Amino acid sequence: MAGLTLSHIYKRYDNSGKKKKVKNDFAVKDLNLVCEQGEFIALLGPSGCGKTTTLRMIAGLEEITDGEIYIGERLVNNLHPKDRNIGLAFEDYAMYPPLNVYGNVAFNLRAKGVAKDEIDKRVRAIAPLMQIDDLLDKMPVKLSGGQKQRVNIARAIIREPELLLMDEPLSHLDGKARQAMRTEIKRLINKIRCTTVYVTHDQLEAMSLADKIAIINFGVLQQFGTPAEVYDDPANEFVASFIGEPPMNILETTIINKNGTFFFTFQDSNLQIAVPKRYYSVVHDGFRCKMGVRPMDVLIGGEDSQGTPEEIATFENLGDERRIGIHVGDVLMMLITEDEKRYKRGDIIKLEVRGEKTHLFDTETGDRIREKK
Amino acid sequence: MKNNKQKGLNILMNFLLIVYAVFALFPLIWMLLISFKSDTEVFTTTFIFHPTLANYQEVLLRSDYIRYIRDSVIVAGGAVLVSILVGVPAAYALARYNFPRKEELAFQILSYKFAPEILVVLPLFMIYQKMGLYDSYVGLIWVYQLISLPLLIWVVRGYFEDISVEIEYAAQVDGYSWYQIFFKMLVPLIKPGLVSSALLAFIFAWNCFTFPLILSSNKVYPVTVAIMKYLGTDSAHYGQLAVASTVSAIPAMVFALCIQKHLVRGLSFGAVKG
Amino acid sequence: MARIQLENIKKAFGKVQALDGITLDVKDKEFFVLFGPAGAGKTTILNCIAGIMMPEEGVVKFDGEIMNLVDSAHRNVAMVFENYALYPQMTVYDNMASALRSKLYKTDEAEIKKKIQWAAKIMKMENLLERLPSQLSNGQKQRVAMGRALVRNPNVFLMDEPLAHLDAKLRNSMRTELKEMQANLGSTCIYVTHDFMEAMALGDHIAIIKEGKIVQIGTGDEIYYMPCNEFTAQLMGDPEINIIDAEISGSGNALAASFGINGSTVTYELPMDSGVYAKIRDRQLKRADIGIRPQHVKYSFEPAEGYFKATVYSYESIGNKSVIVSDLGDVRHSQLRMIAPNGLRVEPDSDIYIRLEIDH
Repeated sequence: MAGLTLSHIYKRYDNSGKKKKVKNDFAVKDLNLVCEQGEFIALLGPSGCGKTTTLRMIAGLEEITDGEIYIGERLVNNLHPKDRNIGLAFEDYAMYPPLNVYGNVAFNLRAKGVAKDEIDKRVRAIAPLMQIDDLLDKMPVKLSGGQKQRVNIARAIIREPELLLMDEPLSHLDGKARQAMRTEIKRLINKIRCTTVYVTHDQLEAMSLADKIAIINFGVLQQFGTPAEVYDDPANEFVASFIGEPPMNILETTIINKNGTFFFTFQDSNLQIAVPKRYYSVVHDGFRCKMGVRPMDVLIGGEDSQGTPEEIATFENLGDERRIGIHVGDVLMMLITEDEKRYKRGDIIKLEVRGEKTHLFDTETGDRIREKK
Repeated sequence: MKNNKQKGLNILMNFLLIVYAVFALFPLIWMLLISFKSDTEVFTTTFIFHPTLANYQEVLLRSDYIRYIRDSVIVAGGAVLVSILVGVPAAYALARYNFPRKEELAFQILSYKFAPEILVVLPLFMIYQKMGLYDSYVGLIWVYQLISLPLLIWVVRGYFEDISVEIEYAAQVDGYSWYQIFFKMLVPLIKPGLVSSALLAFIFAWNCFTFPLILSSNKVYPVTVAIMKYLGTDSAHYGQLAVASTVSAIPAMVFALCIQKHLVRGLSFGAVKG
Repeated sequence: MARIQLENIKKAFGKVQALDGITLDVKDKEFFVLFGPAGAGKTTILNCIAGIMMPEEGVVKFDGEIMNLVDSAHRNVAMVFENYALYPQMTVYDNMASALRSKLYKTDEAEIKKKIQWAAKIMKMENLLERLPSQLSNGQKQRVAMGRALVRNPNVFLMDEPLAHLDAKLRNSMRTELKEMQANLGSTCIYVTHDFMEAMALGDHIAIIKEGKIVQIGTGDEIYYMPCNEFTAQLMGDPEINIIDAEISGSGNALAASFGINGSTVTYELPMDSGVYAKIRDRQLKRADIGIRPQHVKYSFEPAEGYFKATVYSYESIGNKSVIVSDLGDVRHSQLRMIAPNGLRVEPDSDIYIRLEIDH
């Protein structure tokens, strides 16, 4: 059963008041998503890409220009937010300061007129889950960022919503606290098995939390898939460069034919890389495209390697791994190795890439060029 | 449907604004009208009368009015100048340095504005007479500090607090001495706050009535007090009074209009932090 | 460029002892990293070197010359601040020129222009020179702050977390650029950071600072492979090193460590390392905390020889790889982190089988 269905959603902001004509006036454009019951979906994209607008439309805080939203089997286009049976946890912890944590968590239920002992039962049930049992008597001002966020989420899920919406709930927390909270959320959602839509601009968060990731740019859905799919099989250049850290090396290349073997060649560089055989059906001599390969998939060849020798521009020893940068034209190509050998600037290494992890992208549109089956 | 509703709302709002504008501006317009009337017409006509410049001639040419204006400029301008000289360093110290009872001191400076003028003016009168400050420029400029200094210090302090201390460090490391840093780096940054608060202080000082009424008599005669002269014990020259008021209001109004945008932004910027 | 020495620097703010006897020797043309958690006193050290703050005790020397009484303008240091500290009213060009226009470092305008263009080219910001700081993104501001330091010819570059406010991607690429730039310039540089990757990647030598004291000084490899205590070991590495409670048994040349895991005991032989063996013997150690880095923890989802059973606590991506955290049950250090590839489907609370490769 589908937990949430977005069908051809458009959002256009009314620009009539502004003198300037905004070029891309659709904040969200023809968005289609189907989220299974109990699935955890991340909406991922750079700031201003329309992911928060989408979330607000699902919540009913924003009008929909066109399209249909279903929660479960219900069409909710014209329902008021309070009737959509959703839980919301926002970026800023909007807690009611005069109420203690218990009061904050119980607030929604009280407003709905749920019986007192029922409220108490539910609060007591949810508090240990969110690890806020010791905090129930405290006032919001006395809580740390992480604690506030926990209360915030508790407040969202206590209504037992059909759909839980979270908008960058971790962006106020710093490094360690953020990582710890991320783990908490993951475990919690796993326990309550509630359909969840999670908005973030942090690809790490999306990668580690979500069952499926919807990557959005300029209001257009770029790819919708599991973390493994978007990482290993990106639909286009945007997805490839957005997911993964350090980002994928994406280089403009011209393919040449040398005695029946195709090679990637690069401007202002002697680097040549063999084109994987599977692409032979789509490339030809002089074919221009972009080549993408993750730093982990660039390898240092041994003595007998066929790779072109290249000079190391930067060498960073990070303890767990070592990162090497090589100038290809004016682009720095990164490679990551767990090899214990210490190189230094100016050393020569032979470069190879993992053919099965090499992607081609169209120079103009950025779309993936796939081998013909 | 929605558009119509919005249109209606717009019309209603504009109507209310107009009503308010008339209400607020009417006394000023009334004053302006009176200034063109001859004494006989003041009470007998409202809008239809024979405009005359006689009042202006009388006030501007045949009385000491120009001297009063000059006194006002000297006193209010001097007060603001002194406030800047004293207030900016004070604001800097309050923003940057930590010393015991800092907040208390800052609050005390602000509290000068709380006291009703009439309350302090009587003891001051006695003190001034003893010290020979009575009826002097210095005396008035001094007492005007009660009006202009707290305002300036509080606004400018907010500005200083907004400048990160690292900017000063950076300039130090760049090879500048403290005075160079202050004038080259900091003064440009506090300028909006400084200018708007100084102008506001000037307007307040200009409009001050109680202090000059009691602490000065013949030698120093700011316009606010001078206006009273046209209300004689035996006869009231309302026309001339209106002229004197109108002319004295001009600087304040001109300033206020010129810096309107600047003023609101400049003051609120500091106010958020301060 | 100069050699920088600090001798027994002490500095207190009120009752808080920010620096408690810092002694450092930064050689000429060295890239020296001060590394430690927030509030350790790293920035205070830089401020003392720059002359922005006066230490209460101790000596700051540049090339052997005592600088304590020299004010910061005359010390000829260039500093990059954590919040960039750009002059908001000046364009990028004027910001960069400011030091060269001051009375002390007066340079003629033609020369300034040449230098700024050179620095702008290195920092890839030729197109930004006419803008005001408010029109720049954080990454650009950071470049300008660097550029402003670069145009000078100082005794030392002081950098205070210059990359801290950038997002992860930009931070990594800037770090790589910085590394390349430093190699080209060959200048003395003292760099403050709380990011261990920056410390490892950039520093010729790293000083670990904790609560105003130096914990360890050494090269990246020395500190990574031979941390002098648990604090250093935990600081170096992300994911953090695993610390496990172990019981030491055996004698002579065959010591073994046993861990209590989920009620049962797992025993590994300790690797032959005479130094460690000698130490354990000397102190008659019965118990020890053993640290093992996440990449040396092997896992399997099927039972296997030499592996013990635990449950998965979480599985998270950290970029180009992922971390599995497993729960060892009711022991003191109950969480064990290990490295795994991206894109696995691992459910929390499922079983996992683990082997420790203790010979690392």
